[in-house]
Parts: sequence; C-alpha cells; structure tokens
Amino acid sequence: MTLTEVRRAAPDAVVARGLTKVYGEGDAAVHALRGVDVTFATEAFTAIMGPSGSGKSTLMHCLAGLDTVSGGSVHIGDVELTGLGDKQLTMLRRERIGFVFQAFNLLPTLTAEQNIRLPLEIAGRQADQVLFDRVIDTVGLGDRLRHKPAELSGGQQQRVAVARALISKPQVIFADEPTGNLDSRSGAEVLAFLRTSVRELGQTIVMVTHDPLAASYADRVVFLHDGLLVSELSQPTPQSVLDTLLTLEA
Amino acid sequence: MLRTTLAGLLAHKLRLLLTSVAIALGVGFIAGTFVLTDTIEAGFSRSFSADADRVDVAVTPGDGGKGEERPTVSPAHLAKVRAVPGVAAAEGLVRGTAALVGKDGKTVGDLPTTGVSIHQGKLNRSTITSGTAPRTGQAVLDENTARIRGFAVGDTISVLDSARKTRSFALVGLFDVGVDQQLAYTGAVGFDPETAREMTGEKGFVELDVLAADGVAPDRLRDAVAAALGKGYEVRTGEQLAADLAAANGANSRLLTVGLLLFGLVAMLVAALVIYNTFTILVAQRAREMALLRCIGATKRQIFGSIVLESAVVGLISSALGLLVGLGLGAGALAVLDAMDVSLPTGTAALAPRTIVIGLVLGLLVTMAAALLPARTATRVAPIAALRTQVEEHTFRTGMVRAIFAGLFLLGGLGATVAGLVMDPGEVALLVVMGGGCLTFLAVVVLGPMIVRPLSAFAGWLPARLFGVPGRLAVANSRRNPKRAATTTIALTIGVTLMTLLSVLTGSIRMTYGSQLDEQFPVDFVLATQEGDSTMPHSIAAELRSRPELASVVQIRGAEARLGEDRVDAGAFEGPFDVTTVSGSMRGFTAGSVAMADRLAEERAVKPGDQVALTTPKGGTVALRLVAVYDGSASRIPPLLVPVPAFEEYFGEVGDAQIMVNVADGVAADRARVAVEAAGQAYPTVRLLSSTELRSEFDQAMDSQLMVLAGLLGLAILISLLGIANTLSLSVHERTRESALLRALGLTRPQLRRMLTVEALVLGLIGALVGVTLGVVFGWAAIQTMVADPLFDLPVQQVSSFVVLSGLAGVVAALLPARRAARASIVGSLASG
Ligand SMILES: Nc1ncnc2c1ncn2[C@@H]1O[C@H](COP(=O)(O)OP(=O)(O)O)[C@@H](O)[C@H]1O
Ligand SMILES: [Mg+2]
Repeated sequence: MTLTEVRRAAPDAVVARGLTKVYGEGDAAVHALRGVDVTFATEAFTAIMGPSGSGKSTLMHCLAGLDTVSGGSVHIGDVELTGLGDKQLTMLRRERIGFVFQAFNLLPTLTAEQNIRLPLEIAGRQADQVLFDRVIDTVGLGDRLRHKPAELSGGQQQRVAVARALISKPQVIFADEPTGNLDSRSGAEVLAFLRTSVRELGQTIVMVTHDPLAASYADRVVFLHDGLLVSELSQPTPQSVLDTLLTLEA
Repeated sequence: MLRTTLAGLLAHKLRLLLTSVAIALGVGFIAGTFVLTDTIEAGFSRSFSADADRVDVAVTPGDGGKGEERPTVSPAHLAKVRAVPGVAAAEGLVRGTAALVGKDGKTVGDLPTTGVSIHQGKLNRSTITSGTAPRTGQAVLDENTARIRGFAVGDTISVLDSARKTRSFALVGLFDVGVDQQLAYTGAVGFDPETAREMTGEKGFVELDVLAADGVAPDRLRDAVAAALGKGYEVRTGEQLAADLAAANGANSRLLTVGLLLFGLVAMLVAALVIYNTFTILVAQRAREMALLRCIGATKRQIFGSIVLESAVVGLISSALGLLVGLGLGAGALAVLDAMDVSLPTGTAALAPRTIVIGLVLGLLVTMAAALLPARTATRVAPIAALRTQVEEHTFRTGMVRAIFAGLFLLGGLGATVAGLVMDPGEVALLVVMGGGCLTFLAVVVLGPMIVRPLSAFAGWLPARLFGVPGRLAVANSRRNPKRAATTTIALTIGVTLMTLLSVLTGSIRMTYGSQLDEQFPVDFVLATQEGDSTMPHSIAAELRSRPELASVVQIRGAEARLGEDRVDAGAFEGPFDVTTVSGSMRGFTAGSVAMADRLAEERAVKPGDQVALTTPKGGTVALRLVAVYDGSASRIPPLLVPVPAFEEYFGEVGDAQIMVNVADGVAADRARVAVEAAGQAYPTVRLLSSTELRSEFDQAMDSQLMVLAGLLGLAILISLLGIANTLSLSVHERTRESALLRALGLTRPQLRRMLTVEALVLGLIGALVGVTLGVVFGWAAIQTMVADPLFDLPVQQVSSFVVLSGLAGVVAALLPARRAARASIVGSLASG
C-alpha cells in the first residue's frame, strides 16, 4: 500500500471539532476562536481568509500543534492532537506537518539546499531522490541552491521554504501569509508553486491569507470572522472572494 | 534621552546583571587585595605599638660592617645604660639558636628553634598565655610549637645548647610570639636572661629595652642614653620603634599588594573584553530601536551619549557591587589565612576611602572605555534601518588595515621572542620574550575574527559528528559572527594562556632541576645538619662505610676562607665523587692546587693554570694553582675545593657538612634507610634526606606555588565564562525566531538545548586551543631565558585538562541560556522580532 493510497482511504487530512482558544484570563480574556468546526480535504489547496484579528493565525497554530487549544479537538489524519505532550507533538510535526511562514523561514547559516534538506536531517530520514529532484525542478532555483538565504530574493526565499516543506512528504503543509512580504510578481510565483505542488505532487496545503488574489489560487476558501467560521467558497475567483469578504464586513 | 536610557536599562535587568557581575568581580578582586593588605598592615602596626608601649626607649645595634655577623649590643653597654640617670630599669634581649629536641630525639623543624630571653617584671614584652615566666632550670615554649610537637606545661623538654649538648628544662609555661615573623617561622623557646645567654651562646643583645623613671620624658631619656652610648647604636623611643617596624613591614605587604594587583588587572582586562562584547551585541540588536530614535529626531551625539551613559550607570552600580565583593573576598582570605595558622594579626576587614575611590573610578573607567567603540558604531546606524525587517547577517571581511596591524604585531612579537631567545639567559631576556608574547597576543586578538572560522571547523569537527543535526547547526552558529565569537573566546584565551604558561614553566623547571639533581647527585641519601654552620663528626661517615648495605660514602666539609678581599666558602670532599669539570682536570688535584666552580672562576676571571691567593685561619695566605673549573650549578658542593690534607692544614679539624650515601645494588630502600638512620641516631641535629624526599619536597613546593597562582587566575577565567554566558544569551535572544522555526520543523527541546550547549562547547574549545598554543610556545620560550640548558616539559595531563575544563565551562555557561531558549513557546517566539 503506497502513501497515496493511504491518503485516499482517509478523505480528510485535518479535522477540527468545536475548537476554542482563549488568551488570558478574566476581564483580559480574548476569545480568539469560539467553536470552529472545519475539515481540510486531502490533496486539496485550502485558503483560510478573514479580516485582521479574526483568528486565522490562531487557528493555524492550533491545527498544527504549535499551540494548545482551550477546547474541542483536532485530528491530523488519524492522530488526535489534543492531549499530546511536547515531545509527541514535536514528532508529529517532524513526520506529518510542513510549515511556510510569512518571513524568517530559513536558517541564515545554511545554504538553500541545506535548508531544504533540514527537516529530513532533523528526522534522521533519507531524502527520496526522485522527489527531491522533482521538487528542485519545480522550485526552479537551479544554480542558486548553494547560496545562503541572504543572497536570495524574498520570492526565492519563500520558494525554498515551500520546497523544504514538500521534501518530507508531510500529510499537510500549513502556510501563514506566505506571500505577505512579497511583491505581486514574486507572490504569484510562490502561489503557482503551491498550486503545482497540490496538483502534481498530491500535497495537502492549508494557507492563511488576507489577500483575495492569493486565496483565488486555492481550491476552496473558508472565511473566519471573530473566531467563528462564517462562510466558504469552492473554486474561488478573486472577485467572488472579494464579494464574500464585503458581505462579511457589512 | 536620560529617561529613555534608564528605562531601557530597567527593561533589561538580566543583561545588566550579567555585565555587572563581570565588572564587579574584577573590581572586587582589586578591592579585596586592598582590604586584605590594609587589614594586615593595620593589624601589624597595632601590635607593634602595643608591643612597643611597654618600652620607653629601645637601643638596637647599628648596621655593622660588611660581612660581619649580626651585630649586637654588648653587656658592657647594658651596664652603661643602666647607669644613665632617669633609667628605672633596662634589660637586654637575647636571641639565638637553641634547638628544641622533639620526642623522636631529633631536633624539630627545618630550622632550629630560636632561644629568647624572657624578662620578669615590667619589661617583659612576651605574652605568657599559660603557666609562668621561666626561672633558672625552666623554659617556656611558643604555643604553636608546643601544640605541633605535643608538649604541655609540666613536661620536661630537651634543648641543645651552643655546644650542641642536650639540656633538660621543666616546661613551665607557653607564650605567644605575636607578629614576630622570625619566631613564628622557627618556633621559640624562652629562658630567663642568664640561661638564654648560656643556651644560645650569644654574648651580646639584639636590643636593649629601657624603662624611664617616673616623670622622665621618653625623648629626653632617649637623648641621654644616646649620649652615654656614643656612635654605632640606634636609640629610639618606643613610639618611634613601633612606627619604624610598621613602615618596614609595610614595604613587605606592598610587595604582596603589587603581586595581587597584577592578577586583578588581568581580571579587569578580561572584564573589559566581556563588557565590550556585550555592548557591541546590544548595539547590534538595538539597531532598529536606535534608528527609530534617529527617525524621530535624535542626533548622533544623543545616541552616542545614551550608550555611554548606559555604560556609566552599569559601571557605577557594578563597581559599588564590586566593593562589597572585595570586602567579602578580603574577609574570606583573612579567615582562610587564620585557619591555616599563618601568624598574622587579626582585625576586621574594612574598606579604606582609598579603596572605595580606586574601585569606583577603575570600574567606571573600564566600563565606559569598553563601551566607547560600540557607542561609536551605534552612531552609524542610519535612520532608514528602522524600516528594514530582516536583521542583517554580520558578514566579516578581512580589512587591509586589520591585516597590516596583525602582521606588524606578529612580526614584532616573533622578532622580540627570537631576540630574547638568542640573548644569554637572564631577566632581560625573559622580559624581552614576555614582551614578544604580549605583542603576539595582540596579533592574535587582531587576527581573531579571521581565525575563528578555521578554528571552529577544527574544534567543531568531533562535536558536529557526535551530536547530529544539533551539533552541525551549533558549529555553523559558532562561526556566523566571527567578530563576536573572537572577542568572546579571547577573554577565555587570556586565562588559559597564563595557566598553560605557568604549568609549562613549573613542569620544565621541575624537570630541569630534577635532572640536575640526578646528574650531580647520583646519591640515594644525604646526611646534613639542621643548621648550616654545625657539622657532623667523622665517625658517622666511618660507621656508614662499615655498612655492607651501602656502596659509597662521600664526605663534604666546608669552611670560610678569603680569596683576596672576598669571603668564599671553601671545601673538601673525601670518597668516590666525580666532579664534572668544565675546563682543566682533577688529575693534578694535589697539595698546592685548588679547583673552582665555573661561576666563581668567571667572577674572579681566572682559568686553569692561574695562581690564586687563598687566606685561611691556620694556613695564612697561600698561593695555589687552579687546576680545574667544574660545573657548580648543583648547590651542594662548595664553590672552591682543596684536597683533604690541605684542608686540614688550612682549617684544622672540621666535621662533615654533608655526607652523601649510595645504596649497594639489590638492597631494599627501607633496609638501607634503617642502616643510614642508625649511624646518625646519636646526633640530634643530624637529619637524613633521601633523594626521592628531596625531589618530592621540591615538587611539593612547586605544586603549591602553581596552585596559588592558578587559583588567582581562576577569577579571570570565571569572568570570561560570564562573557560566554552573556554572549550566548544575547545570541539566543537574537535568534528567538530561528529557534522557534527549528522547533516547528521538529527539533525537540533537548535537541535545541544541545545545539546551544555544543555552540558554547565549541567557543570554549576555540579559546582553550588558542590559549594552550600560546601558553606552550611562550612557556617554552620563557624557560629558555630563565636557566641555561633547560629541559622542556609539557605537562600533557594538566594542559589537556585545561582544554577539557574550558569546554566543560562553556557547557556550564550555556546551561541557563539554553534552558531559556528551550522553554520559550513556539508561537510566542514566532510572533516576536
Ligand atoms: N498571544 C496572544 N495573547 C493574547 N491575545 C492574542 C494572542 N495572540 C493573538 N491574540 C488575539 O487573538 C485574536 C486573534 O489573533 P490572530 O489569530 O493573530 O488573528 P489574525 O491572524 O486573523 O490576524 C486577536 O484579537 C489577537 O489580538
Ligand atoms: Mg495573522
């Protein structure tokens, strides 16, 4: 049974039920998530949208096991996250989750290639050479692989970060505003790369963004507002995303 | 601006603390030195004046002529003083050798005990702590000697008189020698004045103590006594005497002060490096903050001022802290000395105003000076930097200027070292080599950022392989900011260099002298008397020769003669002894000839074949032919030798000063020892030294010296460790997001901790490797300039332990920063920056 077959058998990569997250206590308590039920399908590219402060990053952190939840449950594949200790969460992140952050994604002391291989090294796993070549091919960096991050452009850095997330064949990749710091051309390259990864490599990606154009690259968009899931769109276009946002603001 | 600076400082108490501790330790050491020596000095002058209070006028002999024995005041002069009107009483203090015999029948201690006169009545200056003052047939002992040798009041003790005959006394009391260093060192036996003269054989007095009659002023009496005695005597009032004694003692303790301060300065230098590094890192980290200040209108001057002000506040607070540390260190050292039974006056440790001023000013100046360069860097931050997001990586490029400076220092340093090596061994050569060492060290400081990379690859080779991904990341981190790494490790290098230097020097000196001992004295036992001037009867040597266990017995006699105008120690040896001749030959060593040690021959500018005039007590002045010059570097043969019959003719019947004994092959050491001991048993002053004992005595002396020096250097090393901890925690702070990223990618907490620990380990190893290299090279160079024909010993175990300990120390320094980094929440860290 190959990994792809396993994923087919489990239709949903990430499932959250009744997710709540409260920061602080008493009067100062902030209810960042107030009961979110959401499912992210395998081999799909899903975007999480919402106005600033709506709880997008919090949701992503809770789904990825980077932060503890206040209530509800999260499953990555068949593993329930809530109740896992730090060590188990770390192992889970190693084996099943990939990350792309908005900035500071790469270790400045390592070359682009070393950065890409880093998750495998940490996990003590061998790189799948076929996959590695394909990823390198798709990332389109070619001769710049031996350069340090400081010598790469912002767009190139983000593509290296995506390549790094892909290389360990995680069950799901979480990307938090991966194009937030990029100009629109570099942003488009990174988004295209993400979409290609889903289409051609069968990767599952969940991306947080507040940019309707970025969201339109996804297969599906879910909308957050005030810590609640309020709406969702399939096969979004920039216009349809913008329209939905406007109705939410109103 | 002031308020911004202070608010910034308060917001970062921890980094303030670490920096402060570094400077506080440096200041503390210096202040502690002053506290210690001040307290000792004050104690001495207190006891001197308490002592001298009992005397109105004191008479001491003048300096006396060159080469004469210790001058004394004769009994006739005591009578004269007693006759001076206004003198109520006068006593003469007797002091001389009176060897106490221990319970094993041998004289106690390395030196014979000193016999002193104890006076009855008001002029008694010794403090009898138990029992009574001695009368005829009685004696008192100083408390320490009594305790160590196991005597108590009521016992009978044996003391050798001036003819080395044993005499018995009833021990009637114990006394305190106070701050008299000589008595404390040798131990003391007190007698009534008459017995004291008899026992010591001293004809004169070392001091006359005079009590004034009622109503006679001490200075008037002093003048009267001085007039009665005439020239050649020093007559002082009790007060003057106390002041003079205190001043003479002060000179001694100033030597101690200077010695300790040297170590204090090394510590301050290391602290300055730590501060410099801390401020450099802070400025780099706050570049954005400062750019923001520039954006809203702060001038370069204000930025500069705010950093300098920050350093001033840190410097002032930590110097004040340092003064407290110094007070504690001083008090602690006093307590330790007290516990070790060092006879020092006790007193409460206190900070003199002078100490406070020096501590504060020094701490403040060093801190501010160390912050000047970083402050200047801060002014270069462009306002636009406030808008940049990614922190720039600190790439380092080797500048022309740096290379030139490094080259100059290195050339100068190596040049001076080679020059020193070419010179004849001596102080000048040593100083030149040490100067070369300092220049080379400067070259290493300048080169530091360039050599850190290759060194970290070297030092990190094993850790990178042993510790997997965290290890490899750590090694990469250790070299990412070469300037910072260099400054951090240089601080450690200073301490390790000095430690290694000391250990190489000690090892080499030990080996050199050890081999000289072996070469010159291939003997198993040496018999000698406790006192240099007494001798052993020839019967001992005869007895030894009759023993089948012993293979060879060599007797050495010595006596004083004159060579022209100068005193010289002449001697003769009897038995199978090979003199190592440098020139000439011992074959013609018969009546009418003489042999000389190389140093003496050189001094007198004579060579074999020359005539020398030797003046002896019985032989008058005789002209002798120099037949051989021998290697005199071994101190046990006299520098001038004549054949035995000639010696007896010139000096009469003289006992043996030393007897060297070799054990026959196949005889066990302890059986031989019994035989040798038996021969000397009847003579209390005869002591037996085996060559292994001599060696171990010498080794022990060297070891304890090394321990003390290493302890003093330990402080500099401790401060440099604070530097590593500081750099690391600031780096950790800087890399908060990076750590969070690694954790998100699956690095466990222990792995993150390990990564930081290995980084510190590598830094520690780099510092140690450079230090060990410099220390070994310059230890080798230094020993070449200190003695002729030195042997070089690299105490591998000690030196490698420095490397291992430095690495470990780095690991310890990483404990807290690593813990903090591992505990940080990933989400919180991702958001920061
Ligand atoms: N560590 C925290 N402590 C307190 N409140 C927080 C913390 N992180 C986020 N919040 C609050 O939770 C809410 C959701 O934040 P976030 O998930 O970052 O929103 P988004 O990513 O959609 O902008 C906001 O009101 C924010 O202020
Ligand atoms: Mg966000």
